[in-house]
Amino acid sequence: MSVNRRNFLRGAAGTLAAAGALGVSRPALAEGKGGGGSPDPATVSVPFLGANQAGVYRPDFLQRSAGFAAFRLLVEDRAGLQALLQTLTSHIQSLTEGSLVDSGPPRESEIGGLDSGVLGAQVPPDALTVTVGLGAGVFTDRYGLAAARPRGLTTMPVFPSDSPEPDWTGGDLVLQVCSNASDSVHHALRDLTRATRGMMQLEWKILGFHSGPRPTGAPRNLFGYKDGIVNPAEDEGLVWIDKNSGQPDWAVGGSFLVIRLIRMLVEFWDRVGIPEQNAIIGRDRDSGAPLDGTGETDLPDYPADPDGAVIPLDAHIRLANPRTAETDRSRLLRRGYNYENAGMSRNGNSETGLIFCSYQQNIQDQFEATQLRLAGEPMTDYIQPFGGGYFVVPPGVAEFGGYLGEGMFA
Amino acid sequence: MLRLGPTTLETTPGRAGTPLGAVVEQYRGYVGQKLDQLAADVANLRAGLPGNDRTSAQRRWLAAQFTWQQVGAAYGSFGALGTAIGGLANGLPQGVADPAFTGLHRIEYGLYSGEKLPDLRGHVDRLAADVDTLRGGLAKLAIVPTDMPIRCHEILEDALRDHLSGQDDYGSGMAYALTSADVLGTRVVLEELKPLIPTPVLGHSPYDQSKAALDRLDAALDATKVDGRWPDYQGLTKHQRQPVNGAIGAALEALYRIPSALGKVQ
Repeated sequence: MSVNRRNFLRGAAGTLAAAGALGVSRPALAEGKGGGGSPDPATVSVPFLGANQAGVYRPDFLQRSAGFAAFRLLVEDRAGLQALLQTLTSHIQSLTEGSLVDSGPPRESEIGGLDSGVLGAQVPPDALTVTVGLGAGVFTDRYGLAAARPRGLTTMPVFPSDSPEPDWTGGDLVLQVCSNASDSVHHALRDLTRATRGMMQLEWKILGFHSGPRPTGAPRNLFGYKDGIVNPAEDEGLVWIDKNSGQPDWAVGGSFLVIRLIRMLVEFWDRVGIPEQNAIIGRDRDSGAPLDGTGETDLPDYPADPDGAVIPLDAHIRLANPRTAETDRSRLLRRGYNYENAGMSRNGNSETGLIFCSYQQNIQDQFEATQLRLAGEPMTDYIQPFGGGYFVVPPGVAEFGGYLGEGMFA
Repeated sequence: MLRLGPTTLETTPGRAGTPLGAVVEQYRGYVGQKLDQLAADVANLRAGLPGNDRTSAQRRWLAAQFTWQQVGAAYGSFGALGTAIGGLANGLPQGVADPAFTGLHRIEYGLYSGEKLPDLRGHVDRLAADVDTLRGGLAKLAIVPTDMPIRCHEILEDALRDHLSGQDDYGSGMAYALTSADVLGTRVVLEELKPLIPTPVLGHSPYDQSKAALDRLDAALDATKVDGRWPDYQGLTKHQRQPVNGAIGAALEALYRIPSALGKVQ
């Protein structure tokens, strides 16, 4: 498939932006946790170009809305897959730069609408990022990529207590769209699916949201607990695939993405006493502090509590991160969102829960090791993992003109 | 308004002297042929009812519905007659039981819900009369010339909205058969407009892109056949539906450029 006019225009807009013609300020963003200043998120443009994809490490407060969309590839050969990745790259770059896509002569109105108009005539950047991940189905002979398959990239296995639903599981390609505002997420997904209709089709899609600080600190999940308090910093070397990771050269600067769609049985949860809830989680619901501490960022002292008298041995935070030397390298970066779907379960309960989203250098050593430690935890009674998938996240596009996943084809 | 039997047709003068007016007249000739075929299909369907062979009657209904779909481009121009022939039960207070639910889909409903074949005779007679009325009025039928380019994508917009959503399936499961007929109808309009489509924009011809996309859609449709027969659409999985959904989406994204490419042609 050849590059169409629309991509040409977008590419031209990208060049303008790269040349600094875009009238949008780009405050230096504090990476990772928190961040000092609070720029108006609508004016924040997250630079697309870089060694890594820009959406992996992002401050939560700038991106309260998310959409996760997994697709099945319809392209049938190597050239088709390259065209798809090129199209995605040019659109993502334009969308995240906030855009002049709809200005610049000739107006696309000559041949039909270019943009949905959902964000108005001038598309604000809105701190948008779109992260692309590729599933195991990409690394086949069909695309000449069997040899490029990263080690450990499988389809997602079924873990104890999983209730997998095929309609919500897997996918050859996933887009994680995060933004300041839900209309921006809608706008981006609408643009990207339109540009790629004949090349891929949706497998599943789910929209998520973050709460703001309630009242302070990390956002709360729908069990009422602060979530994402502990995330590894970028320089701890737990997220990016590096040249010592034993992965193909093309994947260096990339990461592995694990998505788990986890229904939370909030009606049941609300009928559980708070002391029991606290024991299941290992934290105090109001403050977010570990049960042996007073503030949410306090570190639990497990050696001082070897029998679990204060924080039970099977509490979620204790199993997830035992804070021992052996488990230290199994920590991972969480970028989860709450979800609430339209409609309801057959039993009348709400369809709500967590889009668990994690980034790591190695799926087996990090996500799976953690997941296996959690098997049988008391929280199991209140959650139902029903979908998601494993994906490799290619490195970023370092220079204008390149495209996501380009290195796979070298 | 010209009274023509059970329903009416509006008449306005055509503009045969303009380029699009000439396309309309060419297209009117095509519709005439298809309506002749439809009349024969409906007569065939009626002739089969006394034999009480449901499978045969279903096959004859599909032939008639397939012919009607190919007319596609003229839906809007047929007004109430078009609804009487090819309308759905949507919006009718009593749904499929509503007396105003008539025509091909009403017959489909009867054929697939176990209604006795002789009981469908009234519906088939009514359909035959409506088709005859339409044939008789076709020469005077107003077809707005500037609607022709829009029809390039609207025929398949209808296929996407009605067939591939399952909403116009009254039991046959023939969404892909009907979509394939819609592709034929789209091709007719596209070919008639071809001489008017201007020079390629930036080297990409909306005509070439549309034609290639329709070819891919036909290939995706054909690939769904099992032993040469269309599958029951209601029984298909998401993975089985995705290739056609993708191909029709791509075709529509190409076809929607035709009207603006023809924007200045009258």
